[in-house]
Amino acid sequence: MRNFILRRLVYAIPTLIGISIITFVIVRMSPGDPIRLFTFGQRDITGEDIARLRHAYGLDKPIPLQYVDWLIAMLQLNFGQSFIYHQDAFQLLLTRVPATLQLAVVALGIQLLIGVPLGVIAALKRGTWADGVIRVFGVVGHAVPAFWLGLVLIIVFAVQLRWLPSQGLLTVGKDVWDLPDRLRHILLPAFVLSLTGIANYSRILRTETLDVLSQDFVRTAHAKGLHERTVVFVHALRNALIPVVTALGGILAALVGGALVVEQVFSWPGVGQFTFQAAIAKDYPIVQAATMFVSVLLVVSYLLRDIAYAIVDPRIKAG
Amino acid sequence: MTRTQHTARVLIAVFATTMLVATACAPGGPAASSAPTATAAASPTPQQGGRVIQGDISDIATMQPVLVNDTSSGRITTLLYDTILLQDPKTGEPTPRMATYSISSDGLTYTFELKPNTNWSDGKPIVAQDWLTGLLAVGKSAKTVRKSNFQDIQGFNDFKDAKATTITGVTLDTANPKKWTVKMAKVSCPAIIQLIGYVLPTQVFGKYVTATSKPEDIDNAPENTNPTVFSGPFTFKEWRKGDQVILGKNTTYWQGAPNVDEYVVKVLANQTAITNGLKTGELTFGTIPAKDLADMQTVDSVTITKYQNLGYTFIGWNTASPSAVGLADKRVRQALAYGIDMDAVIKAVVFGEATKQVAHHVPVQWAYPSVALEPYKYDKAKAQQLLKDAGWTPGSDGMLVNAAGKKFNLTISTNSGNQERETLAQVAADQYKQLGINAVSKPEAFQGLVTKLTTGDQTLEATIIGWSLGGDPDPYQIWHSSQIPNPATKVEGFGFTFFKDPAMDKAIEQGRNPTDGNCSTAARKANYETFNKILNENQPYNFGYSNNVLQVSQKSLQNFAPAPFQTVYNVEQWWIKK
Repeated sequence: MRNFILRRLVYAIPTLIGISIITFVIVRMSPGDPIRLFTFGQRDITGEDIARLRHAYGLDKPIPLQYVDWLIAMLQLNFGQSFIYHQDAFQLLLTRVPATLQLAVVALGIQLLIGVPLGVIAALKRGTWADGVIRVFGVVGHAVPAFWLGLVLIIVFAVQLRWLPSQGLLTVGKDVWDLPDRLRHILLPAFVLSLTGIANYSRILRTETLDVLSQDFVRTAHAKGLHERTVVFVHALRNALIPVVTALGGILAALVGGALVVEQVFSWPGVGQFTFQAAIAKDYPIVQAATMFVSVLLVVSYLLRDIAYAIVDPRIKAG
Repeated sequence: MTRTQHTARVLIAVFATTMLVATACAPGGPAASSAPTATAAASPTPQQGGRVIQGDISDIATMQPVLVNDTSSGRITTLLYDTILLQDPKTGEPTPRMATYSISSDGLTYTFELKPNTNWSDGKPIVAQDWLTGLLAVGKSAKTVRKSNFQDIQGFNDFKDAKATTITGVTLDTANPKKWTVKMAKVSCPAIIQLIGYVLPTQVFGKYVTATSKPEDIDNAPENTNPTVFSGPFTFKEWRKGDQVILGKNTTYWQGAPNVDEYVVKVLANQTAITNGLKTGELTFGTIPAKDLADMQTVDSVTITKYQNLGYTFIGWNTASPSAVGLADKRVRQALAYGIDMDAVIKAVVFGEATKQVAHHVPVQWAYPSVALEPYKYDKAKAQQLLKDAGWTPGSDGMLVNAAGKKFNLTISTNSGNQERETLAQVAADQYKQLGINAVSKPEAFQGLVTKLTTGDQTLEATIIGWSLGGDPDPYQIWHSSQIPNPATKVEGFGFTFFKDPAMDKAIEQGRNPTDGNCSTAARKANYETFNKILNENQPYNFGYSNNVLQVSQKSLQNFAPAPFQTVYNVEQWWIKK
């Protein structure tokens, strides 16, 4: 197992270097110049000022040299200073991570709490109206755009009914540890973020449960006279959940990366919103730090997934 | 009906309504109704306490005034650090705030004196050295965009270039620590606004601007993000990045402590979130887009205050375009002004919440011309005649061609994602098609567009963009011929129409650096009338419109009186009615 993990870690290095090169080049090749953007319309700005600013941010060097400088600094966890905030880009990014993780973890919980039972129910009630409703929900859950659903939920639950806040992660003036207030704020964005996952899990669980229920050991359990509940929850579900559990590693990273739209709609001050705004403003250090952060998260979570697979199925380790 | 039944009905009704709204096509413009008047007159007995929560779509970037380059940070630093002068909220003219001032008869020497009761939050008096500390910080910083504002102060350029360790043009009064003089290298009328500068606590920032300090000392000072001493009505409490900035009241504020305990800037992702926050009462005040006005007018708990924006949205014509050659002809540009029904456009694009512009300055500026300008009222026949006079006649397909048989193609670019400008580009293209011009709209990324404009990229034929006009009406940066970019020599500038006129240059120069040293409002206004008349006649822009700012505040907020040049100028007098 140790060799397997080491081998996977070694594979991750060229992946991350490749991502860093692609990100660096794409960010710099995209139209526009950050200094011109900052100084557009600025009274009395001169060519000398623009040259000085470009030098101050290290943008006057050739791009390959900029990349080498950045790579060396990045290996020491120095992603440079944000053009806009004049602060360490990685430190700024880290301030946004807790909000995104909080949202991703709650969304993951909602996905499992709702998606798994729905999948099992659909399988057990196969062919009934309940199965039909859950399958339709699965399709709708995939099809509904997050931004649209988010706006509708805000109008209904915040603006009209006033049950929940319309934005943010905490009411102004509340203590940061006020958990009930945090819960009220996270409910809508976490639900919207979890919707696709709920649809996915219910579909996977339905298929897996149906598959497991038709296997010999389940028939044997029935033949032994075990109670239906025991057969389903002790024998069938444990086996049906294996693909779900092994997929969890990748899903957390996907949620962190995919929270951008939800964070924008609900003004959730997380990594996605921060990166989006940095990309608009061409704040290279933040965009690069965020891309590397999410990439590392993805690589690590896929590694965990592979390890989980290897534990479940030793043939993978051997391969 | 039980509470549950009622709730269920509300849910169903609301859900059905939102579905309808969401699936409908572009909203029809609600008729603009007259806005309620601003907040009621001040109560003689303001109530103490409470919190003002302002909605903003951008987080602040810094609390160091010298490094500020965005509106959100600018507003916060204004609340933390007071200024020596203040632009009048309605006229924009400089008025004394922390200091009084006088200008010598030759227009070269400015004398400032801080009011006796001005003090820092740590109890120390605010002195002339604190203003100098701000100026030294600008000179030292590598990341400020403000250096050029002070280039006319004697000795400043030598200091910023590290050729000198002091700024010779600034003299602190040894007998009076609250008084200083500033000697200018030449007469500069906008200088009085620029010399407002930055008053920084020397006891905090002095150590970053010594003779041996490096640029990064001031640029990376920890107090830039965690300030400790203040001259403004509020003090810094906490910055929850990306979420909110919390300020507490400065109990020692020299004009008297504010009535409210806290001022919070709540960061929201977009304009829709601000509108929702104002409706739900989560925000105390904020601005809304015109499309949300009709909806907001149905909310009983808020007051809407309208005033004209200090800026305008325009279509800039590239008069040197090698592809849209027609734009070089004044008659064609005039035809493009007559040939678009801007009043109808304003109704369609911003729901009537704007004023048509026919020149550079906006009506709320003192520089706005008193003389009559050609209003370019929609007149299709006149537009067609002007095009014909310029040699553009309809071809076999009805589209205009010139004598060389070249079609009049016109691409109107604007920044993608800005719904208002994209709609304007589309409407303008549609109307110009009716004149026989093969006009198309082209949205593209703002970042790329800015580079193309400032470098003089000749692929741009027409561009819709907007200007926010500064405190002083000096238009040098936009309209003087020296600001025309030159791709060959890599000279950059904002003169991307390539339009120049010697008489206009002279008027701009006289309004900025008059040879007779006369910087009076009357003298400058005369120059700007000449300038605006030339622009009005030559139409290098279709000057488009100037939007209304729609400020929405909760009715409980008292003494809130925003105006074109200032919003929070009287924040210490605001109070929350309980």
